[in-house]
Amino acid sequence: MDSSGSTQKLENLLLVAVPRDLMDDEVIELRREILQAIRRHGSQVVLLDFSRVDICDSFFGRFIYTTSKMVELMGAKVIISGLQDVVIETMVELGMTLPDVDAVLDLDDALALSRSLSRQYNHLNETAPPDGDIADEE
Amino acid sequence: MAGQSRKDQLHFTIQHVADVSTSRRAGMQMAINMGFAHADATKIAVVISELARNILIYARTGTIIVKEHRGLDGKRGIKIIADDNGPGIPFLDKALTEGYTTSGGLGLGLSGSKRLMDEFYIHSEVGKGTNVTAVKWLNK
Repeated sequence: MDSSGSTQKLENLLLVAVPRDLMDDEVIELRREILQAIRRHGSQVVLLDFSRVDICDSFFGRFIYTTSKMVELMGAKVIISGLQDVVIETMVELGMTLPDVDAVLDLDDALALSRSLSRQYNHLNETAPPDGDIADEE
Repeated sequence: MAGQSRKDQLHFTIQHVADVSTSRRAGMQMAINMGFAHADATKIAVVISELARNILIYARTGTIIVKEHRGLDGKRGIKIIADDNGPGIPFLDKALTEGYTTSGGLGLGLSGSKRLMDEFYIHSEVGKGTNVTAVKWLNK
């Protein structure tokens, strides 16, 4: 297990525990940490875990949006999990929509999704084989 | 920074990012103590958060007061008053439009906050400042 700060690797998933009170300077730091960890681990899916967050204002919405756009540019994908019921109710009434970001209920569902994405990815690599004849094995 | 002058009133000077989380946490606790449901206390906290952030972004400094409020018919509620001496809002109708922003944010702060509360008033004068007063009733 490799973990640094609030990110942790699990298979091709990068787990990110979003802090309860996310402040401006921490956002920049956390995003950098995520991008570096994606490169380090070759993560395909970044899971933003919101289970510690009980007050989610539009600033959080912007954090999710910018993070997902940056992660996309690295060829990975952001999914979110752990949103509390009252947080969801407030987010929707506030008018926050998160296009292009999938949400899952918990870690089990996140793993299932990242495994299926991983299979798709491997399948793509098989249909267009690289120059070498040895498949990439972990 | 909380200068709690009375039991039923919280007063915050909004100057630093940390004041955003202090004020919204204290406001949420006050709402819960008053008997608001968890979901409504969360909405009140989010509105305090949005208004405090607006103060920081546009005016740099200001105050937020959260207090118990009584309607004319005696019903109880919570009142949030956000005050600053910042640049004011030149196009108030635009500022209340969903998605409109001059700061690069999501443009949900004011329009969304209005939806989360029962009453929402903005008074703003260019060059003088902005006052936002919002109320949420306990038993509707």
